[in-house]
Amino acid sequence: MEVGQMQRAWVEYTRSLFREGFLDAQFQQLQLLQDESNPDFVAEVVSLFFEDSERLLADLTFVLEQQNIDFKKVDAHVHQFKGSSSSIGAQRVKNDCIAFRNFCEEQNIEGCLRCLQQVKQDYYLVKSKLEALIRLEQQIVAAGGSIPMEELSS
Amino acid sequence: MCKRLVQMMQGNIWISLNPLGSAQSMTLVLRFQNRPSYGRATFAPGSSSEQPSSNPQFRGLRVILADDDALNRAVTKKLLEKLGCEVTAVSSGFECLSALSSAENSVRLVVLDIQMPEMDGFEVATRIRKVRSRSWPLIIAVTASAEDNVWERCLQMGMNGMIRKPVLLQGMADELQRVLPRKSFEGRHSAS
Repeated sequence: MEVGQMQRAWVEYTRSLFREGFLDAQFQQLQLLQDESNPDFVAEVVSLFFEDSERLLADLTFVLEQQNIDFKKVDAHVHQFKGSSSSIGAQRVKNDCIAFRNFCEEQNIEGCLRCLQQVKQDYYLVKSKLEALIRLEQQIVAAGGSIPMEELSS
Repeated sequence: MCKRLVQMMQGNIWISLNPLGSAQSMTLVLRFQNRPSYGRATFAPGSSSEQPSSNPQFRGLRVILADDDALNRAVTKKLLEKLGCEVTAVSSGFECLSALSSAENSVRLVVLDIQMPEMDGFEVATRIRKVRSRSWPLIIAVTASAEDNVWERCLQMGMNGMIRKPVLLQGMADELQRVLPRKSFEGRHSAS
């Protein structure tokens, strides 16, 4: 694929991610913060997000498997997950966390378990999409092109 | 340092260093329009960073950023750097206090996450205000809370500003503008 085609693919893919609610304006802001002094900024922040998330999901799974569930702990983890997904612009994950916290407050075990499944699902979805997006960006750059951010506002 | 201060007070001209360390004058037309800089030509060949910030008031502003979350810390740091700030990022209240004391008077602003384990932002602010005046360094709190009384609490603890998470570039720029006096570098730095 030549650069122009890759750039068009990038625009279409990014637009679809925003349109389908996987990512929100916060992610776009991160893209705009990237520059020559830090050309891997987005990739770095995204990988921090993946690390955080894997750990949080493991912790959540563990806490929810216990006989006596410590809802305070659950809430603390979900709160953190909400914070990091919000900082990166992973909209669906963030919204799942909001619902999750409500069930925590009610100490609703069923609800919490369902939320855990939902948030895992949405996390893995956005993870694969972000990985694909970053791969595409790296290919564009490797081919000597630039990321056409300005196309997103049209 | 002096040269930079004087030029900043005049407004439009400031100096940046090229990677070889020698001074290189640069006049920038300032537009706060987010333009993608990735892959585009920089203003001066060899310059290691581009300053798209539209506000010279933040240029060279020394900031300590304290946030225990690695992701938030990376994003907020980048955001502040985009606005021209020189940022030292730390991950706890303790590190913040020690960084501040070793920096003496050169740090103008502390950006503090309120929700930190061990020592939260309120406590850090209280400790800072015990030994420093209310306007130097300035303290901006970063909070996830949507409660109304957070701002009051921030003020009581001696903070000067507050921003809600997630932190956006415009939000940070607005708050910096609000808390910083017009000539924020006057009078405090000795000639060097």
